[in-house]
Amino acid sequence: MSWIPFKIGQPKKQIVSKTVERDFEREYDKLQKLEDQTKKLHKDMKKSTEADLAMSKAAVKISADLLSNPLCEQDQAFLDSMTALDTAMRRMDAFNQEKVNQIQKTVVDPLKKYSSVFPSLNMAVKRREQTLQDYKRLQAKVEKYEEKEKTGPVMVKLHQAKEELRPVKDDFEAKNKQLLDEMPKFYQSRIDYFQPSFEALIRAQVVYFTEMYKIFSELTDQIDQAGLTDEQRERETEAKLTELRALSIVADD
Amino acid sequence: MEVPRRLSFPLVLPKPASSARSPLGAAGQTAGSSKDQTGGEKLISEEKTPESGVIVVVEAPPEDGKAARRFSSQDSFSEESSLSEERLEEEAREAQRRAEEEEAAAKERAAQRQQLAIQELVESERSYLRLLQLSTVTIRSNLQQQLQPPPAGLDSMFLHIEEVIDVSSRLLSLLDQKQLQFGEPDFPQSLCDSFLSLSSEMEAAYKEYLAHYNHVTEVENSYKQKEALWNEVVRVIKAAAPDVNATSLSFFLVMPVQRIARYPLLLQTIQKHTDASHPAYALLEQTAHTSVALNCRINEYKRFREVADKYRKTEMLTIKDKIVRLNTHSIAKKTARLGQQIKHEAGLKPKLVDEEFDALEGFFYVLENGILELLENVEMYLQHLQGFLSCRTEDFDLDMDGEKAPICYKEITTALRQWILPMFEKRMRKLIHQPLCALRDLLVGPRNLIRKRLDKLLDYEVIEGKPNLSYEEQAVANTYRTLNTLLLTELPQFNGLALQMMWSTLGTFSCLHRDLAADMEQLFHSFAQQLPHSSLSPGAFWEWAESSVLEGARRLQHLCRMVEDKLNAPDAQPLSPSSQRRLKQLTDKHGSGKIFQVMSTVVGTRDLDLNLTKGELVAVISEADSRGDRRRWLVDAGGKRGYAAASKLIRYHQPTDDPPPSPHPNLTEDVTTRRRHSYSPAGNAPLPMSQPCFQVVGAYDFTARSKHEVSFRAGEPVRILEPHDKRGSPEWSLVEVRGGQRGYVPSNYLAIMPVGAGLPPNPGFFL
Repeated sequence: MSWIPFKIGQPKKQIVSKTVERDFEREYDKLQKLEDQTKKLHKDMKKSTEADLAMSKAAVKISADLLSNPLCEQDQAFLDSMTALDTAMRRMDAFNQEKVNQIQKTVVDPLKKYSSVFPSLNMAVKRREQTLQDYKRLQAKVEKYEEKEKTGPVMVKLHQAKEELRPVKDDFEAKNKQLLDEMPKFYQSRIDYFQPSFEALIRAQVVYFTEMYKIFSELTDQIDQAGLTDEQRERETEAKLTELRALSIVADD
Repeated sequence: MEVPRRLSFPLVLPKPASSARSPLGAAGQTAGSSKDQTGGEKLISEEKTPESGVIVVVEAPPEDGKAARRFSSQDSFSEESSLSEERLEEEAREAQRRAEEEEAAAKERAAQRQQLAIQELVESERSYLRLLQLSTVTIRSNLQQQLQPPPAGLDSMFLHIEEVIDVSSRLLSLLDQKQLQFGEPDFPQSLCDSFLSLSSEMEAAYKEYLAHYNHVTEVENSYKQKEALWNEVVRVIKAAAPDVNATSLSFFLVMPVQRIARYPLLLQTIQKHTDASHPAYALLEQTAHTSVALNCRINEYKRFREVADKYRKTEMLTIKDKIVRLNTHSIAKKTARLGQQIKHEAGLKPKLVDEEFDALEGFFYVLENGILELLENVEMYLQHLQGFLSCRTEDFDLDMDGEKAPICYKEITTALRQWILPMFEKRMRKLIHQPLCALRDLLVGPRNLIRKRLDKLLDYEVIEGKPNLSYEEQAVANTYRTLNTLLLTELPQFNGLALQMMWSTLGTFSCLHRDLAADMEQLFHSFAQQLPHSSLSPGAFWEWAESSVLEGARRLQHLCRMVEDKLNAPDAQPLSPSSQRRLKQLTDKHGSGKIFQVMSTVVGTRDLDLNLTKGELVAVISEADSRGDRRRWLVDAGGKRGYAAASKLIRYHQPTDDPPPSPHPNLTEDVTTRRRHSYSPAGNAPLPMSQPCFQVVGAYDFTARSKHEVSFRAGEPVRILEPHDKRGSPEWSLVEVRGGQRGYVPSNYLAIMPVGAGLPPNPGFFL
């Protein structure tokens, strides 16, 4: 490759045609981008599911702490409401856990598995490159001997060099062909591979939010004052706060 | 040697280096920019600067000077460097050309993608409009005419669709007016302008439509109840729109819901593929933001209307609300009453009053605790919500934009993360977090007063029993009594109000969750028909999903194995003579199935461990050590025996070549093996003298050092008399050279040469 400082030992004859080399690089670039994006998506998915679980647990804590607070014992109605809230939160958490489990199985794990193929591919590309270097070196050697005067020792060396060259050349060509075959196939396989993951992601969320709607509709009917807009809520809150502030015990002393 | 990794010949430069076309400028700039982009990639810059050090004048960065100096010292090395100098230049120019080509190609690709994205937006708008018009004009009138009696509420379903159709056709006509083609650079600009100019009308039209949409589903559900009616409806739909796979009215009527949510993603995709230096970039960004804001406001309005509608229906507060109200009042009343009773009946008796007070105080502390805990938990919840919002899983690009499932996922997640959840967060902060914070702040006052009262009580108790109180003592008593009464009256009110506030925030919490779920449901509704497996029952769906995932994993594993086996097979490099000897020795002793090659140098750490170099051949004696550890194998390294890590060994396949076409078949195999190990003839090879195709020559010059040895020159043909010495060691061979002298020479100094390679077959050849 052109980044070796000492250029001695490079063959004159173009071993790999430019088009082939460009094709190879293009395919490899596509795969590298795919690798980056799958890794990124995997990371984001993991973070997202972690945050999701944490949110759900925080919601459960809200209701659990309230329920264990002696406040509830003051009043049956309050106790009933808090129990209903707590039940709702726990049920939601259970659904959330299920959703996350399904996502883990059908999305996060497959993403990881997909990423784990890339090291082998990268290694194979590396080895092809190494073989190419050897090939070029030996080719240069052969050419060097071919240019010299045809004396005895030269002939011997030429023959030996050719012998050395042949297996390496075959090896390279095999590796090259294999990779040129496999890389596009692998790239294409991503579509079928990830199709179920995306559908599963969507479906898991549909199920979760459907349950959420059912559970919280019921709960809201039970514990929330009906028919309030956001502005009305704000006004009510403000009214209460004003009333509270009007108390002399609240004023700063 | 490194794999040619992402040649970060930069694909999208903020200031394209290719703009300067002069070779001087380009070489210098590319070198400079490649350094900018790849600070750590010294190799690339090192490679480029030597040549450019020759061409470029002063403007090159200082490193060029050093590199040029380095290069000139290289010059003095060998005469071949001048050849390689040309080579370097040539390759540099080539690499430069390639880099420019790559850049141009990448830009081309980005421009293409942008164009495709724009095309997608416009063409999907057109087909959307067409389908809406179809449903309004054809289907609706057909339903009215053909069904007797026409279905109830039909007109109400189509109530707001006219405005949506209007706004959509105006958008398209604005674009058509400009008469631009997709590829033209001005198109994005005109697209954005048209969109922005219509954004307020769009908001007006869609917000009414979405607020009304629940009603549409209700009416349709009522149709579905009556089977005969529904069948008729479906028939009419199918007749009117045979090319579209529609089975319900909501297929068409849900489209505006879906469409408004798609704009952000479509616009963001266009923006993603647009260069930041493009004149329309800022405008695109603004348009994308506007589309998200549009969705936010439309959602808010929808919720407002929902609540307003509901409120009109409910006339009385629920019983729970009444109980809530009663409760706090009753607490206040009870305590006040109790206080009064005591005052009336027993006079001011501190002990009894204490009991009541203690109850109030206790309640207050419990309340305080509850509020603080609740606030803490709410803050934790909001924190995790923000964490969730920050990992944008919709921002991936697996080059799958043609597939339905990933696109649907992206749209859903964009909606969730960019406006549905943010709205939820905003409402939580405004309606729950802020009030709780304010409430927490108000707790300070009563808390301090209660403490003060306690202090005063202690003071008071001291002087309580005294019949005659001094002036100061009276003051103390009064302070105490005032405080006490104040707290006794007001604390119940405080407790009650605070409790009520807490309770209402919890109700709001539940309501916010319900609204969130409702928004998501409406969003999902629009995707339901697009996904291939959405009609499967849950059990069937998960079965399909899991089995597909397993299948995918299996294929992946297969591919991985294949790659590892075929492509990572040990390199078919010819073995060195010592390796060959080792190979032969080990094969003879242990069999070819036991031969392994060392993949990387091993340094033995425990006793009986061997030190092995990379590429060394060993034979495996046992695949476990004396303690049964299967990761440590007992190997024979040609005399030495010891342990080596199994992970560093890979099976060595003896290379088997196809025999070359030879007119002497009985020599075929040996020729093959000799070709592989061309430096020393195998010990039991038949003498080549009898075959005129090949002969043995000296590979290198050899000078005899004793009278048992004989000298020869490289290329000189010799005759092998015995391929081993007196003691049978194959390292020396007895040969006869040209002059008839005989003696021993090192076997590995001999080589087999085909006769046709220019050497005459007789030993009379002279150098």
